[in-house]
Amino acid sequence: MRKIFIFPPGFVFSGMIVCAALMFLPGDSFSREEVASSMRRHKSQEMSTGYYEGYEVLPRRLRPVANISGVVQRTIFPQHSSSTSHGTRSRLSDSHQGVRFYKNRKCQDCHVDEARGSHTVRAGISCRQCHGHDPIASINHYYSPMNPIRRHAYVCAKCHPGANASFAAYVSHPPRPGTETAKREFPALFYAFWIMMGIAVSTLLIFLPHTVLWGIRELFVRKEKDK
Amino acid sequence: MRNKQKSRIRRFTLTQRMFHLILMLSFLIQSATGLSRMYMGTSWGNFLARLFGGREQTLDIHIATGAVMIFGFSVHIIYLIFTFRWRDFPKSLFASDSLIPRPKDVKDFFGHIGWFFGLKKMPDFDRWGYWEKFDYWAVFWGMVIIGGTGLLLAFPLFFTQFVPGWSLNVAFWVHRIEAALAMVHVFVIHFFIAHLRRRHFPMDLSMFEGSVDIDAAGHEKRVWIQGLRQSGLYGNALVPEATPVKRLVYRVFGYGALAIGTVLLIGSLAHINGLGW
Repeated sequence: MRKIFIFPPGFVFSGMIVCAALMFLPGDSFSREEVASSMRRHKSQEMSTGYYEGYEVLPRRLRPVANISGVVQRTIFPQHSSSTSHGTRSRLSDSHQGVRFYKNRKCQDCHVDEARGSHTVRAGISCRQCHGHDPIASINHYYSPMNPIRRHAYVCAKCHPGANASFAAYVSHPPRPGTETAKREFPALFYAFWIMMGIAVSTLLIFLPHTVLWGIRELFVRKEKDK
Repeated sequence: MRNKQKSRIRRFTLTQRMFHLILMLSFLIQSATGLSRMYMGTSWGNFLARLFGGREQTLDIHIATGAVMIFGFSVHIIYLIFTFRWRDFPKSLFASDSLIPRPKDVKDFFGHIGWFFGLKKMPDFDRWGYWEKFDYWAVFWGMVIIGGTGLLLAFPLFFTQFVPGWSLNVAFWVHRIEAALAMVHVFVIHFFIAHLRRRHFPMDLSMFEGSVDIDAAGHEKRVWIQGLRQSGLYGNALVPEATPVKRLVYRVFGYGALAIGTVLLIGSLAHINGLGW
């Protein structure tokens, strides 16, 4: 009789044990609060109407892939804007108070790195979808929706239903991880970055030349005769 | 004509080959979808994203395939527990066919490098050379690091109950750098060793076929072959060559994977200036 291809018993058995173990995991509702609708949840407290004008969102045709026009990278490691004027402007009711020609500028003209952040590039959302309409209150202004005491509920939960304060501790506009700015503002990211880079670079520094030399050396081996 | 003689030595069991197959397929999918996110906003990232139907779908596929990988990894752990020779427990860890590194591997490494420069005789390797052990443990360690950070990033609402939100920023970079290392390692070093080395050129089929040529093994893995002869297991380990149809399938499959990996590597290197930070 022809043997039909079957999975080896050890493979099947191990798979079954893992499947059985998976059944004891809690469902994904475990991590979420019970809400009727993610859209309606914070409606009463929202500044935004939920409807966005064309200039506030990316054009529809760009949706399948991310593409931010008009944002240029000025240097290899530009200084993070939050490091320069962080202290003076973080508690105003209008954070752009006194900025010249504010009306004629786009957000990304000044906030270069922020416009390249993961929420903009990856999720494809505009600045105003989180930061709201003018006047945009400073992050730490007492009544700002961005204030850490309510940020999770007023901003994050719009798209991440069930977001808690810990979730909102995610840094949406982190400094570039390898820079001095990161070392000052976000040391954990800085050190994690360089430790991982150290592991990656040292592995490749050992094995790339090793492999190339091996390849060259084998060219000079006399091929053994059969038997 | 097919060589009906038992001219090859069994090196991998069917289960082990299936682990490699599943790992290989999922790794290629993870690389393509992951690179499309890593290069998001560039023409290269857009090209990769379009293959999967857009950047949202790319992320869905990436997470689903990641789940498959973590599942496969768990199955592998259970498999290890069940196939391990517990009867002679501490000794079997350092047995001839064990993947655990031992002092001989360090000696072999330096001996091998000496051989590259013509200073020493080529070391006699056991069943697993030090580079093969490194490959195995690199995947193991990569699975833990990339899989762990990947879980964190895929279920942020759940995991931020236990860790602060900024650890997702850290997890993102750890995930990214470790994945970049894994891809360079597989697409350059692993491919080079399996395809471009003169001994294996153009392709080493042993991971698909499960066996290696006696002469080739006898030359490179001398300690392994000697051990097999001494323990009397040599006869049992001999197998005939796979049928030509099977070998053709292995080759087509292998070259396909090679081509995909090479395209991903070259495309990524060509667009490295557009890489977002």
